Amino acid sequence: MRIHLTVWRQAGPNVGGAFHAYTAENVSPDMSFLEMLDVVNEQLIKKGEEPIAFDSDCREGICGTCGFMISGIPHGSQPHTTVCQLHMRKFNDGDSFTLEPWRAKAFPVLKDLVVDRSAFDRIIQAGGYTSVNTGGAKDANNILIGKDIADAAMDSAECIGCGACVAACKNASAALFTSAKITHLSLLPQGQVERTTRVLNMVERMDTEGFGSCSNEGECEAVCPKGISLKNIATMNKEFWKAVLQS
Amino acid sequence: MRALRMLGSSVGTKIILAFTGLALFGFLIVHLYGNLLAFLGPASYNEHAHELISNPLIIPAELGLVALFLTHIVKAIGNFGKNRSARPQAYGVKKWAGGPSRKSLASTTMIFSGLAVLLFVVIHLKLFKYGPVYTDAVTGNRDLFRLLLDDFHKPGYVVGYVLAMLIIGLHLRHGISSATQSLGIVPESWTMQVLRGGMALAMLMAILFAIIPIAVYFGVIR
Ligand code: HEM
Ligand code: FES
Repeated sequence: MRIHLTVWRQAGPNVGGAFHAYTAENVSPDMSFLEMLDVVNEQLIKKGEEPIAFDSDCREGICGTCGFMISGIPHGSQPHTTVCQLHMRKFNDGDSFTLEPWRAKAFPVLKDLVVDRSAFDRIIQAGGYTSVNTGGAKDANNILIGKDIADAAMDSAECIGCGACVAACKNASAALFTSAKITHLSLLPQGQVERTTRVLNMVERMDTEGFGSCSNEGECEAVCPKGISLKNIATMNKEFWKAVLQS
Repeated sequence: MRALRMLGSSVGTKIILAFTGLALFGFLIVHLYGNLLAFLGPASYNEHAHELISNPLIIPAELGLVALFLTHIVKAIGNFGKNRSARPQAYGVKKWAGGPSRKSLASTTMIFSGLAVLLFVVIHLKLFKYGPVYTDAVTGNRDLFRLLLDDFHKPGYVVGYVLAMLIIGLHLRHGISSATQSLGIVPESWTMQVLRGGMALAMLMAILFAIIPIAVYFGVIR
């Protein structure tokens, strides 16, 4: 396969960038999108040019490290798929794509397609944890949790923190990411201790980082590789006004 | 106090927007009822208007309404500005994601439909509430029915009003269901029903409002 690419190139933070055109030759349909970029980069390195920087780690769709815009949609148009699990067999010979980094004030571009997502870490630090006694490992099922609740909590806990929700949102809002963690912990007994302070602290941090608010459009849910539902945001908002009334 | 400060946060802002928006929608329903009385003739219409205006609670109610409206507007504009600044650099290429996304013409134009509603409300108050005062010879009350007929025999007014109602319908097409999400008051399993119901309610309300000027113009209300 031959693939035409228009890629955002930016040498570092706080400098300008621009789109550059590349052609990937001899692309195998078995390759993932990232492997296709690896091939492009090998060619660039041979020519003595700077390879295209992009993030990846597990390449199994579970770590949340990879991600960029493929022709205007985070992780490309295939639902529930990260770019590392997006395979070239889904495309046709001669297809063209525009690759761009996530764009948000809170996610500054570090280089090419790589952005700094430590804002997400700071939101988690603000409240995405539970306090437990340390000591010997507890027995499994020490705390009994109904299957329906465990399942619902898992649906929210599935978030891998890739940032596609922020990238897709017209307001660059981190509401889906933040609400997934708040919902996850609000469902479980371990999350009850910090329940009210958690939602206030995390929302406050989300704002400080410069993310926008939620307009309930649901672009985030549509692009989420894990299909995290917009309902999490409704839950966060409910948790929020309950916490405000209690504090 | 922390609770108060948190009301200014992004989530607090959306909760205030949703609360004021739904309250304004509630007002519109009451207002629609009064308007539809025009189909029953001048007596019912004028009497309802007189009852409203002579109620001692009308001044506090009107002040409350103005407060809701202004809060909604101030919060909406501030929110729009913050959201804009959350993405200083625009995408070169950006597409709608499709799928479960509800992004629509309505959801992407909320600030514009909102500002159009504001413009409409100013014109509307000037035309009716603060418009010419005719007096009913029999009851001695204000004859708003005559004003209604006067205005909506002008085709320009009819077109303007129908257009304005379509815009309010658009604002509420996204607004009603969005507000229930923002407040988190809908049981999860009802999300889709509320979404569709909100859209239907918005359209129904816009159509019922828009029928009145049309009915006057074509002599159904006379
Ligand atoms: C009769 C008048 C109005 C009614 C009934 C109304 C109703 C609503 C409702 C129910 C919402 C949903 C709130 C939410 O998303 O949680 C909303 C949102 C909004 N309203 Fe209004 N509104 C009115 C007038 C206005 C005006 C005059 C403006 C002018 C600035 C405005 C601007 C907005 C904006 C920008 C949003 C979207 C907020 C967002 O994207 O998150 N509205 N409105
Ligand atoms: S590299 Fe781990 S999810 Fe794609």
